[in-house]
Amino acid sequence: MRVLFTVGSTRFDALVDAAFSQPVLDALTQKGYSDVVVQCGNSQVGEFSPTDREGNVRRHGVDIDVWRFKPSLDEEYDAADLVIGHAGSGTILDVLRRGKPLIIVPNPTLLDNHQEDMAHSMGKLGHARVSTVNELAQSVMDLDTSTLVPFPPFDGGNFRRLVDREMGFEL
Amino acid sequence: MHSLIWLALAAICVIIARICVTIITPSGSVTRRRSHTETCHLAVFLGSGGHSSEALSLVSALDFSRYTPRTYLVSEGDSLSAQKAVTLERLKTASAASLHLGVPVGRYQILTIPRARHVHQNILTVPFTTIRSFLASVYHVTFAPRLSGDSTFDVMLLNGPGTCVVLCIATYVNRFLGLPSPRLIYVETFARVRVLSLTGKLLRPIVDRFVVQWPDMGGRGEYHGWLV
Repeated sequence: MRVLFTVGSTRFDALVDAAFSQPVLDALTQKGYSDVVVQCGNSQVGEFSPTDREGNVRRHGVDIDVWRFKPSLDEEYDAADLVIGHAGSGTILDVLRRGKPLIIVPNPTLLDNHQEDMAHSMGKLGHARVSTVNELAQSVMDLDTSTLVPFPPFDGGNFRRLVDREMGFEL
Repeated sequence: MHSLIWLALAAICVIIARICVTIITPSGSVTRRRSHTETCHLAVFLGSGGHSSEALSLVSALDFSRYTPRTYLVSEGDSLSAQKAVTLERLKTASAASLHLGVPVGRYQILTIPRARHVHQNILTVPFTTIRSFLASVYHVTFAPRLSGDSTFDVMLLNGPGTCVVLCIATYVNRFLGLPSPRLIYVETFARVRVLSLTGKLLRPIVDRFVVQWPDMGGRGEYHGWLV
């Protein structure tokens, strides 16, 4: 099975470091996620220089596919069995709408903490698990994807009615 | 000389009174009834990245035979959002064609607006870029409909970020001049759970509908569930 780490267009060194760490990689291997892909965005990654766009890194016996950006992550989400990502709302919507299990790791270094609000709301509603970087290995071990609450599909009805009413159309 | 001063004072008073009326009147808060066959010119601001995705999700919920033509306003250089708009138009047109509807659903245009503020832009130069952005907005919202015979926007959807404040102010130029102006519908981004964005805070008092997507906003805006 494949796990995808993603930080979107941000820089989140701690999450990428965790993805390369022994406890997290061990936990992933144990749970059957042997295929590890890391979208690192603008993060600083060990031997990966800021100009490197993609590469392969071997850590603790695991080959990790690392790259910075792609025009669209749709195919990557489709191919993943688990996504571990930052708390960006775009990432959350894209992953949960596909019915993929998601562990959200809010970036504590962001000044504006509205992403943390989002992460905790998703966690409270049961649509995703929320973890800190330090607890990530444990969160992976504890993850039971069958207990995640399915995310509702897109429903344009409410907004369509709102605009129609505002513009004077009969419903 | 005295009469000139009085004239100037009188002019200023009239302008202030007009501004007050513009702000106080909930500009046609009662929208007139539209028949089933009428159409509305829809304008939507695609603010790049997550904002564009959300705005396009909102647009995708609408009946394109009713909201036609459509104008997508994108920031200068944001070709990705323009591309996403074209993709949505193709999808919608294809699904309408497959239903054998005889309605011209494929009428749309994409206009660009200079950014009010670039990421990492020096704060001292922001007034200049904002003015440039404002002039372009006024051109599209106020003048273009009169010069080229395009229809005025009937409704404008906004989802952030900053440049949509400029579009709102341009809309108020129409209202100030007594010209037809679009209804302004602002939908706060799904990313804001408890605290409004700066754009949201600025626009809440001046848009016609202010919608949030989370119930915990403490009554700051109407809530109709998740819309994207």
